[in-house]
Amino acid sequence: MTILYILLTVTVYLGARVISMRCPSPFTTPVFTATAVVIAILLALNVSYEAYTPAKDIMTFLLGPATVALAVPLYHNRQVLFERLVPAVVGLVIGTMSTIASAVWLSAAFGLSETIQATAAVKAVTTPVAIEAAIIIGGDPALAAAFVMVAGIFGAVFGPFLLNIFRIKDPFSRGLGIGTVSHGIGTSQAVLEGPLQGAVSSAAMGFASIITSFVLPWFFPLL
Amino acid sequence: MKKSILFFIQIACLTALYQLSVWTVSTLNIPIPASVFGMIILLLLLLTGIIPDRFIGSGAAFLNKHLAFFFIPIAVGLMAYGDLIRSDGLALFLMIAGSSIIGLLITAGLSTILSSKRRSKQ
Repeated sequence: MTILYILLTVTVYLGARVISMRCPSPFTTPVFTATAVVIAILLALNVSYEAYTPAKDIMTFLLGPATVALAVPLYHNRQVLFERLVPAVVGLVIGTMSTIASAVWLSAAFGLSETIQATAAVKAVTTPVAIEAAIIIGGDPALAAAFVMVAGIFGAVFGPFLLNIFRIKDPFSRGLGIGTVSHGIGTSQAVLEGPLQGAVSSAAMGFASIITSFVLPWFFPLL
Repeated sequence: MKKSILFFIQIACLTALYQLSVWTVSTLNIPIPASVFGMIILLLLLLTGIIPDRFIGSGAAFLNKHLAFFFIPIAVGLMAYGDLIRSDGLALFLMIAGSSIIGLLITAGLSTILSSKRRSKQ
């Protein structure tokens, strides 16, 4: 069955890619459409996520190496990165703190539990950091992984669209914003928008995860 | 043929580098995810010229292009949260969407404004 689940996921992904190239729109972003279709098929066939997990483990084997490989676009764009380091770091640090604060305040405003508020604080960063950070501030690590997925897909789907609405055209700033709030999933979309966007987004993703793990333990209790 | 062998060797090298990062990060208790640590190490190797860019270029480009694929099986895990989505789904979505929009616009906006100020100074 595992082979079938892998074939299913690969086929759905390739189909989603073709659709996103033929009809480019936020709603055809492959990570969003493919995830939704795979979930729908598994639910229709009454397959649990536990049954799908061995297939997941095989398919995600290359996620680590693929993230490491983001160093290549980073290297190609090293000059711009060094030139604009100061404005980038200022934007990233303030942006990271505002996404943490607003996530906690919005959860509180919606009357969500304290565990959810703590979990919400970590949603913008890459999964391993989010899980670790969630444990430290009293959040739920499994839920943290789920929030991270939703934040990532949201950023990949609506990030470029929102930046267009607010007329932020500068490719450097676009990549920076997407990587800061939607980590690897946003970066996977930024890479497709352009090499500079991809490079800055990867750097922002890495840096935001480091900033978050250092800042969160003292910043969260202040909120 | 030669090209595809080279391609697999490149992917294998990236995998080895990642596994080495996993080991280093856990052994030395470095508070950074292994993939980000590996990314920094590979950047340093490229900057110092120890690994020439062409040596891993095509394998890395392939993985970068299909990065989204690797997140799909993980995101499928959201199906395990059906109950929570039914009870608090809308509030959770609005919270994640709202805070993502705020963070996105502040980060990208600040970087645009600060960069153009700097440029006009120079």
